[in-house]
Amino acid sequence: MIARILRPAVLIVLGLIWLAPIYLLLVNASKDPAQYAADQVWRPIGDFALFDNMREAWEIGGLGDAVSSTLLYSIVGPALAVLIGAAIGFAIVALRLKHGFFWFVLVFGGTVFPLQMILMPLFVGYVEAGVYDSRLGMIAIYTAITVPFAALVMRNFLGGIAHQVFEAAVVDGASTWRIFWRIYLPMSTSALVAVFILQATFVWNDLLLGLALSQSTEVRPLMTAVAALQDTYGGLQLTAVLAGGLLVSLPTVVLFLSTQRIFSRGLSLGQF
Amino acid sequence: MSAPATAAPTTPSGSAAAESRRRRRNPYGWPARGFSVPAVLVVAVLLYLPFLWTTWISFTEYNGLGSPSWVGLDNYRAMFDDPNFATSVRNTLIWVVGSITVPVGLGLLIAVLSFGMRFGSWLRLPFLIPYAISGVAVGVVWRFVLQNGGGLSQALDALGLPGADLRWLSDAPLNTLVMIAASAWQQSGVIALMYVIGLQSIPREPIEAARLDGASGWRMFRHMHWPMLRPMTTVVIGLSLVSSLKTFDIVWVMTKGGPGRNAETLAVTMYEETFVNSAYGAGSAVAVFLSIVTFLAAITYLRRQLSSERTV
Amino acid sequence: MRMRHSVVAALAASTLVLAACGGGDDDGDGGGSGDASGPGMINFYTDKGAWEPQFLEVSDVSETSLGLGLDFTGYSDAEQYSAFIRQSFRTDEKPDLFTWHTGSELEDLVAEDLLAPTTDIWQDAIDNGDVPEALREHFTIDDEQYCVPMNAAYWVMYYNKALFDQYGLTEPTSWAELMTVADTLRANGVAPFYETNILFSFVWFQTLLAGTDPDLYTALSTGEASYTDPGVVEVMEQWRGMLEDGYFGDPGDQTAPQDQLKNGTVAMINFGTFLSGQLNSVDMVSGTDYDFFVIPNVNPDLPQTSLIFETGPMCTAKDAENETSALQYAEWWMTEEAQTAWANARGDVSFNPKALVQDETLAELNEQSTSDGVRLLERYFEATPTPVLTAALDGFGAFVTSPGDPMPILETIQAEADAYWAEQG
Repeated sequence: MIARILRPAVLIVLGLIWLAPIYLLLVNASKDPAQYAADQVWRPIGDFALFDNMREAWEIGGLGDAVSSTLLYSIVGPALAVLIGAAIGFAIVALRLKHGFFWFVLVFGGTVFPLQMILMPLFVGYVEAGVYDSRLGMIAIYTAITVPFAALVMRNFLGGIAHQVFEAAVVDGASTWRIFWRIYLPMSTSALVAVFILQATFVWNDLLLGLALSQSTEVRPLMTAVAALQDTYGGLQLTAVLAGGLLVSLPTVVLFLSTQRIFSRGLSLGQF
Repeated sequence: MSAPATAAPTTPSGSAAAESRRRRRNPYGWPARGFSVPAVLVVAVLLYLPFLWTTWISFTEYNGLGSPSWVGLDNYRAMFDDPNFATSVRNTLIWVVGSITVPVGLGLLIAVLSFGMRFGSWLRLPFLIPYAISGVAVGVVWRFVLQNGGGLSQALDALGLPGADLRWLSDAPLNTLVMIAASAWQQSGVIALMYVIGLQSIPREPIEAARLDGASGWRMFRHMHWPMLRPMTTVVIGLSLVSSLKTFDIVWVMTKGGPGRNAETLAVTMYEETFVNSAYGAGSAVAVFLSIVTFLAAITYLRRQLSSERTV
Repeated sequence: MRMRHSVVAALAASTLVLAACGGGDDDGDGGGSGDASGPGMINFYTDKGAWEPQFLEVSDVSETSLGLGLDFTGYSDAEQYSAFIRQSFRTDEKPDLFTWHTGSELEDLVAEDLLAPTTDIWQDAIDNGDVPEALREHFTIDDEQYCVPMNAAYWVMYYNKALFDQYGLTEPTSWAELMTVADTLRANGVAPFYETNILFSFVWFQTLLAGTDPDLYTALSTGEASYTDPGVVEVMEQWRGMLEDGYFGDPGDQTAPQDQLKNGTVAMINFGTFLSGQLNSVDMVSGTDYDFFVIPNVNPDLPQTSLIFETGPMCTAKDAENETSALQYAEWWMTEEAQTAWANARGDVSFNPKALVQDETLAELNEQSTSDGVRLLERYFEATPTPVLTAALDGFGAFVTSPGDPMPILETIQAEADAYWAEQG
């Protein structure tokens, strides 16, 4: 009985703390730039200018140009990575790939390299291979960078599926491809979706790879434009920068909201 | 989207006998290789190959122009001799400890509290939103909060709590600790989400059986859920370990390494050497050291966790 | 369920299609040479990504008058930018035109013979009176000139006019007067000067040293003087006194300087004239809400007023795809037409004395800077070799955050300087 009240209460209190910085973001992004004051960040003073600020960031920052390419990268890159990661997970767990741990560590090892340090060799390699400043090149690197995470999660998640499932399907005469595509993937929807949305968010917010590997308006991802809204040399007002940051976060927030249903299923643990 | 509500059935570990029978010969050798090729290929070409170049550069002196000149182990020697290196190592260790306790603990708490509850996924949303907000806005907001006399100090002052005059981002190790808190703010929701997936995949039967035996609350969690969440804990800690060793963005955005480099992590040292000083060799040496440490930490952890889970 | 998978498959398939038609190699827009359709475009790279609107404004002017425009690529991160440019020389994507830094950064590029010389362009510009002779040395390496000045800025003292009026203060003409102004502000609970512990932590070191002993300031940048010299230590002690006595705002306050001045958090900011553009962007009006004055020398006996200036070069890579057009553009950039457009787009001064700067106080400074009573000194940031600068910025950042004995900091910087100059031979 106590637990029934306590659990939501704890979550709500924690949640409010978590939302405090978001509140700051919203309030200050909505301020009229002329009325913004740094020592009054908590108070919603002045006129409501959120949409004006967003419009300013959108227009001056030229954010519109990059939306379609960034959308392409954030969908295709992680989608491919999830499938590739699930495939090697399936190979290790269900097909008992020889030296599976070695291959798994090799793939997962891709995450240990500090991203900053592979930018320059990647740039040079990309120019030499003729994929610098191309959408194909961007998709390729976004796929590669998200594969290790996908492989780790999918390998462990698929490991939770009993091997009898595989055996039963073999007895039914299913091919390995069919077992992967028709049985294992559908059974891991929530993990696939979780990996996808986390990595799509990562790609959507990426700045470093975008800066290093692209140059033209059609290829450069969104965050390169967002980051240029304000830097050491000036730029837009803080209110507009915040509004711009908020605006470009909307798609990922919507993505999280719309996939919540998938994570709401499951066994009730009401007894805690 | 509609999909079967039943998650993965039956127990995670197959029977030992069946396993040893199968280990004699694997009829799926070729398909297994086929399924692995894309992952291995893409990672090898786009991540390993570039880092190979970095490794080579670490044995040279190079300013990004012209051709690198071989200097053997000089960069590594200079790195270990640099007193700032010790500070970086210390800060990085604080990050590792902080990141595998605070966000993981909070994430687990949030997942367990919200799981299976009505509107649970909605109560989880506030924790996920920080991850979805773009880094530019997050950086600005945290500067609001953490700068001297900023949002946090104002709030503490208004509530009559002590600490309003602390210099959050200036003094070590306070600045590292508050940045860990800021990073926990961003990561906890994601970790909670991973744990929710873990909880979803826990089979119903053993839980029901335990419940019939009268288990509930903490005992139920300790003896049933926690062990069954282990694969997910492995994932979460493995990832936190790797990402905390590589901590860079937040430290750079908030403090550029702190006054007098007092908040610098290994990745920040690496970045400063390479990109600020254009000492590519010295920066690459730090990168190689960092990668080796990260790799060893990850492999040691994963090997222990995964091999006890099942031999692969 | 079947539907979901076909969606994934369709997405994967669409990758290839979209990738194939979008982006690709940009061999279409290169040119500027004999391309009949519209103005030729030059690839232009800069780490001043926030200045895109202003660059494009000038590009509009050049498209009509020169027939060449800028294909703008902005970076927001100076370090990534530097690395990108350095690496690009190894590839076929050499930048046609790019912004850079004077000092050791420029020397690095010239040492590897990567830049197209601009000696002739410079001679013409000087003959035309488009650029002061004094600027040339900063672009000269072994008797050849490289790059042209992209911009110029002087470091002056901005102040909040409302605060000055409130306390009956006027622009000081001597260091003593400046201190009196500061004391009045202090007595009224207003922090006189802006200070930060990130990046621009060197500014007050630069001002105090240049205003006390400009020769020592110059000698320090060439390695002829040491950071542990008594003159330097004295300046640090003076700075420390000011820090401890509350002459500065909070160095940990990361609120942008323009906002701090607007809010009256601080009354004065020692900053480059590019701050004018930033102040205008927060709706402060020059001459009404803010103004600036040249910082008086600390030592009143000096014959000339020390004025810190900075200039950022705009360079062309040797063998860049559009090298000829890019050099043509660089030549045009120095002209009165280009500089008038640039200075007014940015709301800043210009190196070209003929440029018509609309902002009156800036125009005045533009003239004053070439007079005999002024000694121009290169900004510390460019004047100091990179490794020494990095150590100095770290040291000064720590010093302004927790003022204390300056000796350990100076010794650390000097150790870096010793290593650097030893290597230079």
